[in-house]
Amino acid sequence: MLIRKLFRTAWQYRAQFLSMVIMVAVGIGVFLGFNIEWKSIESDVLGFFGKTNYADFRLYSETGFSEEDVRKIREIDGVDEATRFLSVVVSVKNDDRKTLTLHVSEDYTVSTMLITAGREYDPEADGFWLSDRYAEANGVRVGDTLTLTYMNLEISGEVLGLAKAGEEMICVAGENQLMPDYKTHGFAYIAPAKYAALLGPMAVYPQVNALSGMKKADLEEAVKTALGRTTMVVAKTEDMVYSEAMGESEEGKTMGSILPVLFLAIAVLTMTTTMHRIAANEKVQIGTLKALGFKDRRILAHYTSYGLVIGLVGSAVGVGLGYFIAWFIMNPNGMMGTYFDMDRWALVMPAFCVPVILLTNAFLVFIGFLSVKKMLRGTAAETLRPYQPKTVKKSLIERMPIMEKRSFGTKWNLRDVMRHKARSAMTLVGVLGCMVLLVGGIGMKDTMDSFMRILGDDISNYETRVTIADSAPNAETLALAEELNGDWQATAGVSYRGDTVMLNIYDASHGKIRFVDRNNKLMNLTDDGVYLCLRLKDTAKVGDIIEFSPYGSEETYRVRVAGYTRSVMTECISMTAAYAEEIGVPYHIGSVFTDTPAGEIGESPLFAGAPQAKAKILDTYEGFMEIMNLMIAVLVVAAVVLGIVVLYNLGVMSYVERYRELATLKVLGFRDRQIGRLLISQNIWLTLVGVLIGLPAGVGVLQWLLVALASEYELKLVLGPLTYLVSVGLTFGVSTAVGLMVARKNRKINMVEALKGAE
Amino acid sequence: MAIVEFRNVSRVYGNGEYEVKALDSVNLTLEEGKFIVILGPSGAGKSTLLNLLGGLDSPTDGQIFVEGRDIAGLTGDALAEYRASSVGFVFQFYNLIPTLTVKENVALVKEIARDALDPERMLAEVGLSDHLNQFPAQLSGGEQQRVSIARALCKNPKILLCDEPTGALDSETGVLVLKLLLSMAKNYGKTIVIVTHNQNIAKMADTVVRVKNGKIRSCEAQEHPLAAEEVEW
Ligand SMILES: Nc1ncnc2c1ncn2[C@@H]1O[C@H](COP(=O)(O)OP(=O)(O)O)[C@@H](O)[C@H]1O
Ligand SMILES: [Mg+2]
Repeated sequence: MLIRKLFRTAWQYRAQFLSMVIMVAVGIGVFLGFNIEWKSIESDVLGFFGKTNYADFRLYSETGFSEEDVRKIREIDGVDEATRFLSVVVSVKNDDRKTLTLHVSEDYTVSTMLITAGREYDPEADGFWLSDRYAEANGVRVGDTLTLTYMNLEISGEVLGLAKAGEEMICVAGENQLMPDYKTHGFAYIAPAKYAALLGPMAVYPQVNALSGMKKADLEEAVKTALGRTTMVVAKTEDMVYSEAMGESEEGKTMGSILPVLFLAIAVLTMTTTMHRIAANEKVQIGTLKALGFKDRRILAHYTSYGLVIGLVGSAVGVGLGYFIAWFIMNPNGMMGTYFDMDRWALVMPAFCVPVILLTNAFLVFIGFLSVKKMLRGTAAETLRPYQPKTVKKSLIERMPIMEKRSFGTKWNLRDVMRHKARSAMTLVGVLGCMVLLVGGIGMKDTMDSFMRILGDDISNYETRVTIADSAPNAETLALAEELNGDWQATAGVSYRGDTVMLNIYDASHGKIRFVDRNNKLMNLTDDGVYLCLRLKDTAKVGDIIEFSPYGSEETYRVRVAGYTRSVMTECISMTAAYAEEIGVPYHIGSVFTDTPAGEIGESPLFAGAPQAKAKILDTYEGFMEIMNLMIAVLVVAAVVLGIVVLYNLGVMSYVERYRELATLKVLGFRDRQIGRLLISQNIWLTLVGVLIGLPAGVGVLQWLLVALASEYELKLVLGPLTYLVSVGLTFGVSTAVGLMVARKNRKINMVEALKGAE
Repeated sequence: MAIVEFRNVSRVYGNGEYEVKALDSVNLTLEEGKFIVILGPSGAGKSTLLNLLGGLDSPTDGQIFVEGRDIAGLTGDALAEYRASSVGFVFQFYNLIPTLTVKENVALVKEIARDALDPERMLAEVGLSDHLNQFPAQLSGGEQQRVSIARALCKNPKILLCDEPTGALDSETGVLVLKLLLSMAKNYGKTIVIVTHNQNIAKMADTVVRVKNGKIRSCEAQEHPLAAEEVEW
């Protein structure tokens, strides 16, 4: 019998039950989804790195490492494996839009491949192992012949096998490309024998890759002792592939800990108010059950089971949703699939998720228990008396003189809000959540658009970027830059306060490269000092003297800080060429920027690869922007769903609670429209307050997210007027639409039924 | 002069197999300014009759003329307008708005009734001048019912409808409330219809209507209704 009553009650409160189940499901789904995501990234990526001996450290030397050097490094206590290594970007012959990063791992003990087709690795072989994703995108098969060009050199051979590699898990051509595009860029390995055959004694290895559990500083010291010179050491945490992958994992952790809290908090709030409401409404029934001789324990169990059923159904749906979210992000054809290239895409759930879900359920049951417990106190006769809501007092606001003049509707609504604090607070939370998601989502888009504008127009005022070969002498490059009417940039790694940062030297006299300050306003670099990027801002004040030392040199330079400039990507110190000459720091020009179209530049032995059009470079951001737009769409939809579910649920609850009062108004002769207005105006007031709090809260959350999720970029929070307008408009739209939906119900009030029983 | 006329009014609840004829082809005429008592056993159809007259419900069949206008076909706003201006209701369970003060509960009707009277004066007349700013929950049942009477009269309607107005009160308080109701109705010249089980009240009525099984058993005018003082309570 009690079971049947359970279902009937559930049906009666279906709007509330459904929204609680949805909130629990969404909360658990988002919680599981993002937690599985980060755990899977960690486990799958680290597994893949292990299988392909992803290097813990990369040592760089411009002049190259000798066999003697690498032997000494290998002998360092704490270094497990070390091999000479080469990575160089080469072009595909007869198709200069396509490039490959060519690798040679001399000993093939570090930075190896996972071969997916064709022949096993053979150090003596005369052919390529090619990225399988590149091969697929370009229709290349094992056995085909491939010809690559590097400067004046042609490298030709058979495709011996297809492979994936940890070093190329995020396969991009350079720091300017955000997302892999296998149609235009891939990677290939050749054996050391082939490298030697190609270049003979010229076959240098500018890199040593090592496996080691040492600390970076210790290794740096040990290498210095072993080789007798400073060597630039880059730990895996500073390597793009590792740090990006772990960054994705971190993002998942953040998303998995904030969003679910929001949804679960709303579920719990809805639960609290609804259970209390049900228990209050059924107080007489509870009394009847008691009078009939049911034990308190039976009755408690009965009402508590609502919480249990909601929790279980919500959890079951949530687990499914969670795995779906995780799968959606983490599958070879999903969001991460366009980013990572690895062998295993297993979904792994962190162990703590199970107890968290169990605790959530226990908590929901506990709330169910608490709400009835109160009602059971006392004798059966007392329990039989209907539930009396707290008597009303005039609130502080009402004692203000202006309230005297307000219409009874305003007073009615105000007191109703005060009387049902939990319900009103939840409405506020719903509006607030909706607002925060909207401001956050749309504001994120504004911020990204502004970032793209800075990147694409403000600081990159050129049409074409020419990458200069390492071997090109500066004098010839300068002549070329003059001829092309272009600016140039020289980049090198330096050690600054123990970290690796980039030293950028610019000649920006043609206005092709430009700089922006903290407020994204254009600025000029002066010739009397260096400029720190904004992430280094706190390390020195303007006018301070700082020290840095280029890798591969014993020199230390002491320079004056002249100001700060925004660097969209790298952590860097910037200076003009004139200042570089003055302090005497050596540099090698790496890129020339010009307005001459890529096609008109022709070929030159100075170039490393073909000149690239800016538009092409920016195209690689498209994939990234697509993911961004998708996320924003998801946030906006989530905001609207959240708003509708929470507000509708509360609207219905408020309507049910005031049913009798509404019926009374109707009997007195109030029209449906007047009563509807009364209901909606409460919504509007609460929405107004929610929006007023939600707007700054949204901006705050976004600012926090920018720091938490995008610390590798110097993003400036930008919010357009349209964003404010759309967020506020949409929130009010949702609130009003839901208000109307609820208000329509008052047409159906059955006055005779409503006024029959006792209050 | 007839103020109310029911012509062949039926109200059927349910459909098909479970039909209940709460009112079955009722014909009834009520005179203006009179005091009418409706008697009958539980389930006879008394409330149904009152609800139809009050515009809370519409008949399945027949016509109901109030001041010459048929209200049977009215719906929505037109019916709301009728409720607002023509009838005042007093219920067994008061039906006050718990979040409005005594004064506000009465003043409320000024928003809908065109010829509303002064709320404070009405409350003074029912003896509640000292309770204007209290909330309903702070009043006794009898006091709450007096607020409800003040509210019904404040609209200044032609007809006052009272469905077992003393049903939830102890007999002593009930009598006081009834006396008040009658004297107020008389002072303001209202037609008043009361559903009650109290036989004593019936002795005071101008007209006694007896209802049973959804039909009017009798509708008798009393030549010499007793005054309140003459009745033995
Ligand atoms: N909403 C309803 N649905 C079905 N039957 C109803 C409904 N309201 C009243 N009835 C039936 O109509 C008859 C008359 O009811 P009512 O007018 O309330 O009687 P009373 O004279 O006690 O006030 C009763 O038999 C009752 O069961
Ligand atoms: Mg009745």
